[in-house]
Amino acid sequence: MAKIHDNPNRDEWVKKIAGLTTLAAGVALLTDFRVKHLSPFKTDFSLELDGQWIECKIEEKVALLKHQEFNDKQFLNNCTCGTEAQKIADKVVAEMDACTDQYVAEKIHVNFRLANKPPIMPVNIFLDTDRLLGNKLMELRNTDYYALPLEELRKVRGVKVITLQ
Amino acid sequence: MAISSATKAATDALAVNRAPVSVGAQEVHRWLQSFTWDFEKNRTKYSTKYKMANDTKEQFKLIAKEYARMESVKDERQFGSLQDVLTRVDAGNRVHPKWNESMKVISNFLEVGEYNAIAATGMLWDSATAPEQKNGYLGQVLDEIRHTNQCGYVNYYFTKHGQDAAGHNDARRTRAIGPLWKGMKRVFSDGFISGDAVECSINLQLVGEACFTNPLIVAVTEWASANGDEMTPTVFLSIETDELRHMANGYQTIVSIANDEAASKYLNTDLNNAFWTQQKYFTPVLGMMFEYGSHFKVEPWVKTWNRWVYEDWGGIWIGRLGKYGVESPASLRDAKKDAYWAHHDLFMIAYALWPTGFFRLTLPTAEEAEWYEANYPGWYEMYGKVYEEWRARGCEDPNSGFLPLQWFAENNHPIYIDRVSQVPFCPSYCKGASTLRVLEFNGKKHSFSDQWGERMWLSEPERYECQNIFEQYEGRELSEVIAEGHGVRSDGFTLIAQPHTSKDGKLWTLDDLKKIGCVFADPLKSL
Repeated sequence: MAKIHDNPNRDEWVKKIAGLTTLAAGVALLTDFRVKHLSPFKTDFSLELDGQWIECKIEEKVALLKHQEFNDKQFLNNCTCGTEAQKIADKVVAEMDACTDQYVAEKIHVNFRLANKPPIMPVNIFLDTDRLLGNKLMELRNTDYYALPLEELRKVRGVKVITLQ
Repeated sequence: MAISSATKAATDALAVNRAPVSVGAQEVHRWLQSFTWDFEKNRTKYSTKYKMANDTKEQFKLIAKEYARMESVKDERQFGSLQDVLTRVDAGNRVHPKWNESMKVISNFLEVGEYNAIAATGMLWDSATAPEQKNGYLGQVLDEIRHTNQCGYVNYYFTKHGQDAAGHNDARRTRAIGPLWKGMKRVFSDGFISGDAVECSINLQLVGEACFTNPLIVAVTEWASANGDEMTPTVFLSIETDELRHMANGYQTIVSIANDEAASKYLNTDLNNAFWTQQKYFTPVLGMMFEYGSHFKVEPWVKTWNRWVYEDWGGIWIGRLGKYGVESPASLRDAKKDAYWAHHDLFMIAYALWPTGFFRLTLPTAEEAEWYEANYPGWYEMYGKVYEEWRARGCEDPNSGFLPLQWFAENNHPIYIDRVSQVPFCPSYCKGASTLRVLEFNGKKHSFSDQWGERMWLSEPERYECQNIFEQYEGRELSEVIAEGHGVRSDGFTLIAQPHTSKDGKLWTLDDLKKIGCVFADPLKSL
C-alpha cells in the first residue's frame, strides 16, 4: 500500500508542476486547484488528504516563475496577472464595506483568498487587505451571535441533518 | 555632520523628558512610558473587531532590566535545584512510573502552549497602542520564551535522569497519529493565535491563564509531589510566578476595550466561545492525567475544577470584570456537568486507542477502583466492570491478541471525533454530556458532541476543517500507520506507547499489533 506522505496522488502532481514553464500557466493551475480542492465550499473531496501539500508545491513553482518574469517594481506592486494589486484590494475592500450580510461577506473573503493568496498578490498588500476584510466579516458574524436557534442556523447554513441524538 | 532623524528625535525627546536622576525602577518605568509614538495612523497588524484604548495602564510596571534580574534569580534557584540537589538524590527514579508517563503528556503539551503564547502575546503587542499595555505584553513575550524552555527542560531532565525516556524525548514526532495532539493544538495553537487578536487574548489570558493555569500549573504540582516527582513543582511553580502578570494582562486587555462600543456587542460571545474551546479539552484531559495518570490521589478532579474554574474564575475573577460588562459564560453550567464524568469517558477511549499515543497508560488497580467508586458513585458499574473484562482478556499482554478498541466494535459503540474540539467521544457509552450530532455540508459529514461547538462550526465552518485520524487513515492497518507516524522506540519495532507501566510486563511491538489486523474506519461513512 502507498505510504501516507509518499503516494501516487502527490507523485502525479509533482510531475504536473514540473511541466509548468510560464507564470500564466502556473497561476491558472494554482487558482483552479484552490477553487476545486481547497475552498471551504468545495464539493470535491478527492484530494482532501494531500491538497494542502500539493498547493504548497504549486505555490513554490509559481513564486519561482514570478521571480523570473517580474522586475522588482512589479514584484512589490502587481498581481501575477499584471494588474495593480492595490486596485484589486481597494475594490474588494469597498465591496466588503458595503456588505451587510455575513454570508455574502464570508464569500467575499473566501473568494479573495482563493484568487489572491500569495504568491499571486504581493504579500504586503494581501495581508493588509485580508485584515480589513477579516475585521468586517467578524463584526457581521458576531453581531447577534445567538439570535437564531440551532435549527434555524442549520437551515441558513444549508446543512443536511444526518443524526441528532 | 548631519545627525539622523532618529537621533534628532531622541535628542529632542530627551530635552523635553529629562532622564531621571535616580535609578528607582518605577521612576525609570514612568520615564520610559513618556516616549510614546504618534498613534494617529496607527493600526493593528491583525484583524480585530475591537479598538484598544491608547491610554491603558498595566499593573506590573516592570522595565526590561529589572525583569531580567528577577527572572535570572528564579532560574538560578530552579536549575540549581534540578542539576545539583535533585540529581544527587536520584529524584528522576523516585517518581511513580504512572506519573512519569503523565509528565510526558503534560510538559510536552504545555511546551506547545507556551510556544504559541510567544506568538500570541507578540500579536497583542502589535494590536495594542498604549505604551504601558505594550510593555505588559512585552514582559509576557519574554515569560513565554522562558516557559517554553522550562517545559522542554522538564522532559529533557526526565529523559536524562528518569525512567523510560521514550515519549519524554521527541514526543512531537508522533503528532500525526495521536488523537490527543489535535485537540491540544486546537486550544493551545488555534485558540491562541488565530482569529480576532482580542479573542486570542481572551482565549490565552482571560481563560487559558486566569482560569486553567491554576488547575494545570498549580494543581499539577500537588499531584506530582504526591507521586514522588520533585522536578515538576520546582519548575512549574517557577512558571506560575509569571502567570500573575499574564492574568493582569488579560484583565488590562478587557479594560482597554471596555469603552469601545464593540465590547458590548461581541465580548461575551467571544468569552463564551473561548471558555468552551478551552474547557472542552482541558476539563477531560487534565482530569484524566491527574486521576488516571497517578497512583497516589490528591483529591477528585471535580473538586479541583469546582474550586478553581467554577468558584474562583467563573465567580470571583469574572465577577470583578462585571463592571466592564463581562458576564460568566453561558456554557459554564454545561462545563460543570462535564467536570464530573468527562475525564472518565475520555480515559476509556484513550486506553482503547493506546497504541496511537507516546506514553504508557495503566488500568486502575483494585485499590484505585475503590477510590473512584467512593468519589464518583456509579463508576464501577459503568467503567470498572469493563476494565475488569479488558484485563481478563489480556489487554496488557502482547500475546493476547486483544486491543480494547475491539471491545467498542464488538459492542457496537462507535467512537467519533468532535470536529470543533477534536476530542474523541463515544455517545453510546458515556456518562458525560456528549450527544451525537452529525451534519452534512457540501457532501461531507461532520460530527459534533455538543450544542456550543456545533454553533461555532455553523457560524465559521472554514475555521474547523481539521481532519481526524479516522478520516486520515481510513482503510489503513494500525501498525503501518504507527510505523509511518514514528510511534516506535529506537529499536524500530517496539511501540513507544504501552498499555501498562509494569517493569516486568512485556512490551508490545509492531508485529503484535499487526497480528490483530486492526484497520481504521471512519464511523461517519456508515451513517
